[in-house]
Amino acid sequence: MSDQLTRPSSKRKILPVGHYRGLGLWNAAFLIFLYMPIAVLIFYSFNDNRMVMIWSGFSIDWYIKAFNNVAIQDAVLNSLIVAFFATVISTAIATIGALVLARGGNFRGKTMSLGLITLPLMVPEIVTAVAMLIFFAAIGINWGLGNVIIAHVTFCIPFAFMPIRARLEGMDTSMEQASRDLYASEWETFRYITVPLLMPGIIAGAMLAFVISMDDFIITLMVSGAGSTTLPVYIYSMIRRGLTPEINAVSTLLLLFSITIVTAYWIVSNKTRTETVH
Amino acid sequence: MATAAINIHGVSKVYNPGSPQAVQALDTVSLTIHDNEFFTLLGPSGCGKTTLLRLIAGFEQVTGGEILLFEEGIENLEPSQRPVNTVFQHYALFPHMTVAQNVAYGLERLKKPKDEIRLTVDRVLSLVKLTELANRRPSQMSGGQQQRVALARALAPSPKVLLLDEPLSALDLKLRQAMREELKQLQKETGITFVFVTHDQEEALAMSDRIAVMSNGEVQQIGSPTEIYEHPVNRFVADFIGDTNFIDGEIISVKDDLVSCRISANTVFEAEDSGNHKPGDQVTLFLRPEKITLTSDAQIVNGESHAGKVTNIIYLGNQALLSVDLGNDIELTAQTRPREDGNLPFAVGDSLLVEFSKRALRVLAK
Ligand SMILES: Nc1ncnc2c1ncn2[C@@H]1O[C@H](COP(=O)(O)OP(=O)(O)OP(=O)(O)O)[C@@H](O)[C@H]1O
Ligand SMILES: [Mg+2]
Repeated sequence: MSDQLTRPSSKRKILPVGHYRGLGLWNAAFLIFLYMPIAVLIFYSFNDNRMVMIWSGFSIDWYIKAFNNVAIQDAVLNSLIVAFFATVISTAIATIGALVLARGGNFRGKTMSLGLITLPLMVPEIVTAVAMLIFFAAIGINWGLGNVIIAHVTFCIPFAFMPIRARLEGMDTSMEQASRDLYASEWETFRYITVPLLMPGIIAGAMLAFVISMDDFIITLMVSGAGSTTLPVYIYSMIRRGLTPEINAVSTLLLLFSITIVTAYWIVSNKTRTETVH
Repeated sequence: MATAAINIHGVSKVYNPGSPQAVQALDTVSLTIHDNEFFTLLGPSGCGKTTLLRLIAGFEQVTGGEILLFEEGIENLEPSQRPVNTVFQHYALFPHMTVAQNVAYGLERLKKPKDEIRLTVDRVLSLVKLTELANRRPSQMSGGQQQRVALARALAPSPKVLLLDEPLSALDLKLRQAMREELKQLQKETGITFVFVTHDQEEALAMSDRIAVMSNGEVQQIGSPTEIYEHPVNRFVADFIGDTNFIDGEIISVKDDLVSCRISANTVFEAEDSGNHKPGDQVTLFLRPEKITLTSDAQIVNGESHAGKVTNIIYLGNQALLSVDLGNDIELTAQTRPREDGNLPFAVGDSLLVEFSKRALRVLAK
């Protein structure tokens, strides 16, 4: 997905709108509109005052406070545990799914399976959330963090699936055939050829799944019971207790974390593109 | 007789059998490829050359018939169990491995000792002149270099048979010509049986010990380059290999292997026939442009000659192809060479005499 969005429209001639006056201004206004709220959030995270919106001086006290807040530590730990397991499990499932769909020949229901795997991306999150809640209640599973992990695995699969499938699509079977021709068993071919060639897609998929899991709020809010609060859910509950710059500080850190992973994802998928398999 | 490396007995291949998209790619193909032979499968796009290679390599299963490798059935052998390696049309090099790792891959899968692998890789890389590039990745190499890597990778495990699927098609003309000789040389040095696929007739003639000309999933003719070029069995082969004149006519008399053939109301050509035709048979004669001698009007000529007029000239540098109108709706393409000063001896509109031996004019079997 972001693959397509970030790709520059290569050789197509770009309309010469650059010389229209005021275009730069529009652009600036647009970027301000996009990033102003986040800039304000970050700015006030360094506020000395208890009241978020009243500036009284620079300090990093709220960061220190956030770091020492046991509840936040627990929430972060929960978030990391959930994201880790959700990522590993969903990426594994997505990899197998992509392999079956791309290499399994033509089987009945192939097109439908493909559609069904990516459909959850279009289902409103609140619908998924309610469905999960009812589902867990109905079958009586109450595993605390386990419930959250299961829920996260389900909505992370399509995200992990897409880059892996994109990578597989670009890979023809000739390399695997060459390997078979050179006396490799099927397992050796999978291990020495398929997996290494697929790796950039798998890594990209895993990173995407990780970020999506870390950021998720609505579904987590619905399925997490006491003791399985994740960071986004905890931030929400802090807001309800009153705004302090501590929220800004935590949010800024979460943002930083997401940016790091998205950047890494971008670098990996970019690298993949330049050394395309032919 | 030389031992057979590959026996192909009545092999047919249908893709997607039973479905509306069924394609008959091969239709009861039979041929024998000898050991140590440079054998070429030649034919137009889609005639089933790749399919035949893939059947030998084991990537596809025959629909009918049988393939023997050194007199043994291979039906139940996986591609990895056949002593056959392939040089793929688009090389299919492993992009995540260096050149040396690519070349070592087959040997490693065969669990050869480490020392032996290193020695073999060195030897094969020097054979294809890539020793300096051993640590490069395929993506950092030119097309010709990648082609050599593909060759080295397939040669390293010392297969008994090497299958090459249009390995030169991606190269430019100069490199292609250089690689032709190197490949031929390599085949002689290693003694490995080469099965070489191409749709380039010149390539086939230049490299092969024997050629199988294919069309529409069937073998049209098998023979040495000379046999194929000089004695094509049918119009397809004659047309596919080189430039050819086709002349339709009716046999009026037969004497040993020579026939007289009426071309038009007042033209009769004598021609060679190896097909036992009878008077009254409608046949096609063929004549290569280079077998035609052209002389300008003024000169006195011996033997039978026909007056004609140049209607068109295609200049090709080292030669030129002339269209010569002989009247009575007969037009021949003849070849001529530029004179030493670079000018052609004829111009459009010139009258000239056309001469060819009756042994050069042949009756096509069908
Ligand atoms: N996997 C396949 N499924 C269905 N039809 C196929 C398949 N592979 C080849 N064919 C068909 O079989 C016929 C022979 O194909 P093949 O690839 O053997 O031709 P070729 O002689 O190698 O042609 P080219 O010179 O273009 O490579 C073609 O009509 C082709 O469309
Ligand atoms: Mg082919």
